[in-house]
Amino acid sequence: MAIRETQRRHEALGLDEDDLLRMYRHMLLARRVDERMWILNRQGKAAFVISCQGQEAAQVGAAYNLRPGYDYVYPYYRDAGIVITLGMTARDQLLSLLARAEDPNSGGRQMPGHFSSRELNIVTASAPIGVQYPQAVGSAMAFKMRGEDGVVLACGGEASTSEGDWHEAMNFAGIHDLPVIFLIQNNVYAISVPENLQVAGRIVDRAAGYGFPGVEVDGNDVLAVYKVAKEAFERARRGEGPTLIEAKTYRMTAHSSDDDDRRYREREEVEEWRKKDPILRFKQYLHGAGVLDDAKEREIEEEIRAEVDEATEYAENAPYADPESAMRYVYAEEE
Amino acid sequence: MADEKQTEVSAAVDPERLVRLYREMVLVREFEEASQRSFRQGKIGGYLHVYTGQEAVAAGFLSQKKEEDKVITAYRDHAHALMLGADPKEAMAELFGKRTGMVKGKGGSMHLFDVDRGLMGGYGIVGGHVPLGVGIAYALRYRGSDGICQLYLGDGAVQTGAFHEAANLAGLWGRDGMCPVVFIVENNQYAMGTSVERSTANPDFAGKFEAYGIESEKVDGMSLEAVLEAGGRVFEEVRESGKAYAIEAITYRIAPHGAADFFEKYRTKEEVREWRQKDPIGLLEQRLLDLDAVDEEKLQEIKDEAKRTIEEAVRFADESEEPPPEELYTDVYAGEDEYLGKE
Ligand SMILES: Cc1ncc(C[n+]2csc(CCOP(=O)(O)OP(=O)(O)O)c2C)c(N)n1
Ligand SMILES: Cc1ncc(C[n+]2csc(CCOP(=O)(O)OP(=O)(O)O)c2C)c(N)n1
Ligand SMILES: [Mg+2]
Ligand SMILES: [Mg+2]
Repeated sequence: MAIRETQRRHEALGLDEDDLLRMYRHMLLARRVDERMWILNRQGKAAFVISCQGQEAAQVGAAYNLRPGYDYVYPYYRDAGIVITLGMTARDQLLSLLARAEDPNSGGRQMPGHFSSRELNIVTASAPIGVQYPQAVGSAMAFKMRGEDGVVLACGGEASTSEGDWHEAMNFAGIHDLPVIFLIQNNVYAISVPENLQVAGRIVDRAAGYGFPGVEVDGNDVLAVYKVAKEAFERARRGEGPTLIEAKTYRMTAHSSDDDDRRYREREEVEEWRKKDPILRFKQYLHGAGVLDDAKEREIEEEIRAEVDEATEYAENAPYADPESAMRYVYAEEE
Repeated sequence: MADEKQTEVSAAVDPERLVRLYREMVLVREFEEASQRSFRQGKIGGYLHVYTGQEAVAAGFLSQKKEEDKVITAYRDHAHALMLGADPKEAMAELFGKRTGMVKGKGGSMHLFDVDRGLMGGYGIVGGHVPLGVGIAYALRYRGSDGICQLYLGDGAVQTGAFHEAANLAGLWGRDGMCPVVFIVENNQYAMGTSVERSTANPDFAGKFEAYGIESEKVDGMSLEAVLEAGGRVFEEVRESGKAYAIEAITYRIAPHGAADFFEKYRTKEEVREWRQKDPIGLLEQRLLDLDAVDEEKLQEIKDEAKRTIEEAVRFADESEEPPPEELYTDVYAGEDEYLGKE
């Protein structure tokens, strides 16, 4: 009985077993790369880590709707799950972490988490919180003006909604009915500031003021996120305008490798959320649906471990950028 | 019928109070017309935004300001200064950029300040004063005053990021009773040439505050009595609770946006004509006549008096001196100035 119920859940969304396994791999790869980055940081090899841990379902569930290289994405620093779903690799992530010349994001120039790929239409992030939103609506406006059915996915944390840029972008998207999806990953904290000291009212309710729908979703349930994002993507492609998605989730690690979260949150709270780990939940679903068994689970783990090991070794041995090249990529160059 | 009307009125309205506010509204209207003339004569530099059409909003709310309260607004600020009691001579001299102006001729039309009377300015950057107003409200509570802050802003200002950041903080601080601010959105239907339908996909301005956890209501900004009623009730609630509140006053900018605006390009004559029927001064005159609070003669007397006051203000402004160049270096920072003023 239980199996039939769960099967119907993904089938109703038009997802087959291969889709499910792909989503699972993306989530797991994002997690395992992230864990490796912390180890490298503690070994003194990586200067800085910022994590996706806990948010993989929100990211992969939404990004699975993207057409890589056609739609546009404005990810934020935790969105490893999104860029991996689009096609970035463990090697790409580690080259970026260790600031090597081959880092596809910036040739070793940006901080980790500042994703960028021209081929995948991943637009380079800037460090100030919230600046991606006005840029994203600009891209959406371009799609609309060209009469193309591209969609723009713009991401950020709950605290980024406190920025004026978010408001101006939301308003502009609403006035012009732009094909843009605002995916807010509400992970309860902005560094040390909890959501209840950050957000007056509810984020999801703000959409109404801009004249478009807001949907709240369990951000730790990859299929639930996939479902609301799918509806939002379809709406946007039909020319019906923007959607705000508030994915309720939790930041499982400290804010970054420079933060000590014991100073502002209880261990019990973190432990409670660890039980709701999105990867654990999806794994249970896959077992229930008969898509995954213990042997298959181990096999995937092994494959991913090998991939991360290979990527680590490759990145550690890769050269840094040539100092002579420091002035390049500031302005566009002739191709 | 007549009887019914009488009782309804005596319960809510004091006709003398209405006459007093009528006087203020007429004075502001005269002031604005004179300032537009002076601008065209080249006597006022910079820019000029007049309040014509919106007088009932400021009259109704500002007349209920208590000593300890503060007021902050944008660049359409002449009415606010005058209704808080500024001398029309000094206000006009400020527009003329003269030494005798309210802020020594250094602010001009957009930057009227009158700290003694609680007017915290006059600001030219759309939305820029909204965080200041929220901060003022917080400071009032923090220092133990039971004052509130009347924060005036336009429909256009609501679309700025500064508004959003401030509204979010007002919602948060208000929860703790630490933000006695009343957002007064003067929805005059336009932000320069952009109508509210073009500046937001949801022109329910009061409704937007809900998402910040701020209660709100709409009021007919052309009706002095409606504004008085809302202000009387809301200000005392906010004083008590320390929670932010928002009032959207539905009004209309009968005048052009500013001194150099060609409004034929973005609004029809019919639309303007329709709103002119609701001119708050016209409506109030009719009301006062219905109430037998005045007769035609009295109305004329009030207008003539306002005209004389404003003529005198213009003459004063015109004859006053320009600030001397040395004044450029004073009043830049509060208190003793270490860096400037030595030249
Ligand atoms: C404009 C700006 N202010 C402050 C910072 C410092 N900062 C970096 S991340 C962060 C927290 C953002 O929280 P949230 O948007 O909830 O995202 P999360 O890190 O929780 O995923 C802050 C304040 C910044 N980068 N930019
Ligand atoms: C940040 C900024 N952008 C643009 C302007 C130019 N500007 C001056 S007034 C105005 C319209 C504002 O409309 P609203 O807030 O509705 O006030 P109203 O003029 O209707 O009283 C604009 C865009 C400005 N002063 N500041
Ligand atoms: Mg957060
Ligand atoms: Mg306006």
